[in-house]
Amino acid sequence: MIDSLPVPRAVPEAPAGRSIAGLGDPGARLLAGPAVGAETLAAHVARLGPLSPPAGLADLWQMVAASGLRGRGGGGFPSARKLEAARLAPGEPVVIVNVAESEPASRKDHVLGSCRPHLVLDGAVAVAALVGATEVVVHAHRSKTGGGVLRAVDRAIGERRRAGLAEPRWLLSAGPDGYVSGEASAVASFVDGGVARPRFSGNRMATEGPSGRPTVVLNAETVAHLGYLAHVGLDGWWAPDAPDGPRLVTLAGAVSVEGLVLEVGGWATLGDILQQAGWSVPPAAVLVGGYSGTWIDGPTAWSTRFDRPGLHGVGGRPGCGLVAVLPHGACGLAETARLARYLAGQSAGQCGPCVQGLAGVADGIEALVAGRLRRRGLHRLEVLSSSVVGRGACSHPDGVAHLVASALRVFAADAAHHLTGRTCEGTGHPPAFAVPTDRPTPVTWR
Amino acid sequence: MSYILRIDPTRCRGHAMCALVHPDGIELDRWGYGQVVDPECDDRRAVRRAVRAAAACPNGAVLMMEVVQGARSGRPQGTSPRGPTEEGRMAGESGLR
Repeated sequence: MIDSLPVPRAVPEAPAGRSIAGLGDPGARLLAGPAVGAETLAAHVARLGPLSPPAGLADLWQMVAASGLRGRGGGGFPSARKLEAARLAPGEPVVIVNVAESEPASRKDHVLGSCRPHLVLDGAVAVAALVGATEVVVHAHRSKTGGGVLRAVDRAIGERRRAGLAEPRWLLSAGPDGYVSGEASAVASFVDGGVARPRFSGNRMATEGPSGRPTVVLNAETVAHLGYLAHVGLDGWWAPDAPDGPRLVTLAGAVSVEGLVLEVGGWATLGDILQQAGWSVPPAAVLVGGYSGTWIDGPTAWSTRFDRPGLHGVGGRPGCGLVAVLPHGACGLAETARLARYLAGQSAGQCGPCVQGLAGVADGIEALVAGRLRRRGLHRLEVLSSSVVGRGACSHPDGVAHLVASALRVFAADAAHHLTGRTCEGTGHPPAFAVPTDRPTPVTWR
Repeated sequence: MSYILRIDPTRCRGHAMCALVHPDGIELDRWGYGQVVDPECDDRRAVRRAVRAAAACPNGAVLMMEVVQGARSGRPQGTSPRGPTEEGRMAGESGLR
């Protein structure tokens, strides 16, 4: 529990150029268009012009490479390199648009898929053209939300059919909802007819996926960015923006509207975003990038720019764009313990260090919160947590280790308090971050 | 031709045979799962031991991956997998044993 915050500073006016926009707001790029519901093909074309990219394929390559766009699913891999690898690899690439948004509090991919399906599909058309694919798979959860996205995408495809557009063959795929089932290799495995569990491979999937063909799995937001780029060109996407372009953010935790998706660009800080979330002073802390993301203390977060370089400066990364706010009076360590327990239960159960290690990490942080850990125990927790890094087929264990390390750093004063054998008032605070509890462990992988 | 030694964590069940036959390259972690500490197979001795480790694993979790020319060196992403027993046989037949 952080109880000694500095006196709130006056909130500075956002300088020109900083932009934060919601669905349908003026100034939005990806989220421009109607404020509610799916945008029709007619409205989409009226807004962005014809679907065929204005520039040729060579120009599009140039633009994608120059944009520096990185994957928006969490990994942050440079998209141009992924696409280039798939284009150069032998065999026709499999293109998968990943709308399986497994991060429990994140909504941005679902919003894009259900409200801006044509932007996502345009991006998919561009990707297919870039890598030379004739088929595109749109993959989502089979949950209620995922099903809604697929229905919206299906309706959009119907509109495109009726408009007689020359397009790749569309395939819709619905898979399990588990946390790691949305991971790229798990999605590729599922689409290939296997189970939706991460795969170990010495090869990059872009070169050789589960099917043996080059496989490009791109997050839905990444694909939407590519669609937008193809429509408006680099200047419209970029300027006057941060080095990695606009980003979609989902608000969670102690915010005015939970699950609100915002488009952030133009050197906006986390403080600017938090003001949209109803905060006029820094909150206790912010968890950025997903449930296995990075804790940043409130005052630091307030002035941190929300882009890769800005977040790197405070040990973070944008991840999937989740901004989860910890209110004053809540215990960040207790919150972390709940998240660690949830994430440990979400292991695919394939890799020993993940199964054994994450359970132990969750035990350790729960013991700390309960005041049952001493200094030596805390040290053992830190060693255990770092020992799972790089030991899984996917980076699930790495993410949990990262979460715990940042929690112990940001809430060091609280940890010291708990080490004296006490709990804190904050541990009784109702959970700030929602964690799916109905199905603690995914039971289906297919 | 050079190889990188890797362990497929989804296949490793902690039989510990790899660490027994290739102690320089593979150690056991706190739970007994194999952990590659030296992935390089740069001399004949290391290659020989890596092949033995690959052949000793009952789950085929120890992999010797060929380093593809032109890929960034030493990065597992730039390698192509070879089945352990198959590779063991190949390396053995070519006189490396």
